Amino acid sequence: MRFLQSNPRITISGGFILLVCLAALAAPWLAPYPFDQQDTHSILQGPGSQHWMGTDRLGRDLFSRLLYGARMSMAVGIFTALFAVLFGTIYGAVSGYAGGRTDNILMRFVDLVYSLPDLLLIILITVTIGRGVLGIFLALSLVSWVTVARIIRGEVLKLREFSYVEAARAVGAPHHRILFVHILPNTLGVLIVTLTFRVPAAILAESTLSFIGLGIAPPFASWGSMANEGWSAMKFYPHLILFPSLILFLTMVAFNVLGDALRDALDPEQRMR
Amino acid sequence: MIHRNWIKWAVTIGLILALAVLFVRTSARVPPGPAEPTFRMTLSNEPPTLDWNLATDSVSFDVLINLMEGLTEYDEQLRPRPAVARSWEVSPDGRTYLFHLREDARWSDGKPVTAGDFEYSWKRLLNPQTAAEYAYFLYDIEGAEDYNTGKADRPDSVGVRALDDRTLQVRLRKPIVFFPSIVTFMVTFPMRRDIVEKFGERWTEPGPMVTDGPFVLDEWRHEYKLTLRPNPYYYGPRPALGKVVMFVVNETTTALTLYETGDLEMATLPPEAMATYRGKPKYFTAPLLRGYYYGFNVLKPPFTDPRIRRAFSMAIDRKEFPAILKRGEVPASFWLPPGMPYHNPAIGLPFDPEAARRLLAEAGYPAGRGFPTVTAAFNTSPENSLIAENLQAQWKRNLGVEVLLDNQEWKVYLKRLQTDPLPLFRLGWGADYPDPDNFLNLFTSTSGNNRTRWKNDRYDALIRSAAADPDSAHRQKAYDEAQRILLEKDVVIMPLFVATQNWVVKPYVRGLQINALELLILKNVRLERP
Repeated sequence: MRFLQSNPRITISGGFILLVCLAALAAPWLAPYPFDQQDTHSILQGPGSQHWMGTDRLGRDLFSRLLYGARMSMAVGIFTALFAVLFGTIYGAVSGYAGGRTDNILMRFVDLVYSLPDLLLIILITVTIGRGVLGIFLALSLVSWVTVARIIRGEVLKLREFSYVEAARAVGAPHHRILFVHILPNTLGVLIVTLTFRVPAAILAESTLSFIGLGIAPPFASWGSMANEGWSAMKFYPHLILFPSLILFLTMVAFNVLGDALRDALDPEQRMR
Repeated sequence: MIHRNWIKWAVTIGLILALAVLFVRTSARVPPGPAEPTFRMTLSNEPPTLDWNLATDSVSFDVLINLMEGLTEYDEQLRPRPAVARSWEVSPDGRTYLFHLREDARWSDGKPVTAGDFEYSWKRLLNPQTAAEYAYFLYDIEGAEDYNTGKADRPDSVGVRALDDRTLQVRLRKPIVFFPSIVTFMVTFPMRRDIVEKFGERWTEPGPMVTDGPFVLDEWRHEYKLTLRPNPYYYGPRPALGKVVMFVVNETTTALTLYETGDLEMATLPPEAMATYRGKPKYFTAPLLRGYYYGFNVLKPPFTDPRIRRAFSMAIDRKEFPAILKRGEVPASFWLPPGMPYHNPAIGLPFDPEAARRLLAEAGYPAGRGFPTVTAAFNTSPENSLIAENLQAQWKRNLGVEVLLDNQEWKVYLKRLQTDPLPLFRLGWGADYPDPDNFLNLFTSTSGNNRTRWKNDRYDALIRSAAADPDSAHRQKAYDEAQRILLEKDVVIMPLFVATQNWVVKPYVRGLQINALELLILKNVRLERP
């Protein structure tokens, strides 16, 4: 674990993500106003001492909404990524380990899901389930596990040919023991890296959905829905779109830097170089 | 092998060049031809229909008013003046109208406009098979209501008849003082039987469509734009504009950007642009005879209970709307807008959250506890979203009730309201003619535009008798009582505000007429480019 401390890329990006997560969790205590409190006397105010990031068209405090939006965005990001990694890992591992016809069938199904355009599928699902957190979560989960399944299958295909696996098989270890005790722990590095890339992908997908009006239902906010509310007034009140897109951008960068750094740190082959 | 390589190279380079040329050609701007005066504007959505018997909304109307002309049209003071009808006379008992048509009125295919075209159109409007929402518009004609509601199956009993090609006779069941105003409205425009029967539903497409107004429909690229060109056979002076383009643009801010980049001659102003444009020379504002309301479907729980409807209406602080929309909207708990005769600002439920909570508690939901989830529906637009989110917050704050929001695109939304109205829905009403009858007739049990499923005999009777009463004191009394039933006693709708119109128009545009009825008349528009 020492490499984590000595790597500034990981410290900075990880620290930023931790900060955003903490701010999201502490939103009810940190936010100066309730996120849905409308004040018709201070509509569309610019950033100032009363409202640090200004107010929106209904006089709601932008900073408070951004904090609550972080909850929504982070929750959707982390939970869908977790689901994707959990389900995708098991699916990919079973497929890769079983090999042969099972592998063939399982992977063709992955190809099928993969070949459908993500956004279109997500839109279809949210339209059928209806607007709301559950719909978004389900839709994003259903399309994002396939990438993980493919990566893990590849890893398992490689690992199962290693001599220590062969040795385990030779002494008569049962399949589940070989898979879960000998093979999967060795994919952990890849898994962590995949996770750090899935989270921002999910956050971005949620923002896209909210941006086109299919995401979070009002009065709740997410970064995407706030950007959506902001873009049409961009010319007159740029703060409405500036803050949500800025925080979204920074979070994306942080996650990507973290993922890259973790891959460099955890990939033994690269470390040797 | 050098030779073959050479050919390969030549072919590759040739292909790239060809592609490049193609690309340059398609991306190059078309050189401006002889400047054709073009007026470009936007429609907030695709017109649901251009069949003027069936049209019900202001977007369709914006297009049709420039394509068509009826018996009469409005002057600047909103009084009816002759159009296709050269003149008209009323019988002494006020029940029979004779309209004399101009000899030179022509359709865009050159055929004369005849009294028979009016008779066909009106009977088609009233035919129950047409299922026109606006059929009730002509109910004051003898036999019209019976024919439309199926009590009489022969159109012959309807009191409209072409005595000859130039004379239209209309017999009313009671004297209607404002009848010449009614026939300015789009649903009463003449219609060609031969065209409608030949092309079926396709007759409103460019090509088959034949109109008698200053413009004809030249092109209709659905969900994108409509193009109008002058009607060569129009009897009046030929419009100075060579072309009118109406783009379908939902977002008002998008329209404004197009205006700023010089791609539009006029645009409406969204709330967030008001501070920037107010007071500029090219900006202008005008009052509108248009009410914005949320209605209840009184047959759907929980709004079957009038106490709940009352509570919802009294929990709204209407002063917040002008603060949000910033366009000088007038908060309204009354229904007849200012500027309309018999307008009475004292009518309507006041903002009283205490009383609203008490009413909700009486209905079984103290502090909103146990109140079922209700959804407020509106058609997609930035302005409607703002209002809906504000209402959502107000009902939560003042009643403790959670309301979900649901929005749909206009065409879909209208269909939904026609077939199965949602429990709580947004609509607006713009005056078709400047008489209170038009605003209040809307909620009678026979009105095709009444989405509330509410029926009240007393209300119907009041509206019916007031329309025929020449005595203004009587009318005032009847309309006051009708509004009280509609807004205070039964609380069928919650008026929110009276809208204004706010435009920016390029300084070189001359002769644009906009009035409180939202009629955007383009026939006199000229462009005087510097």
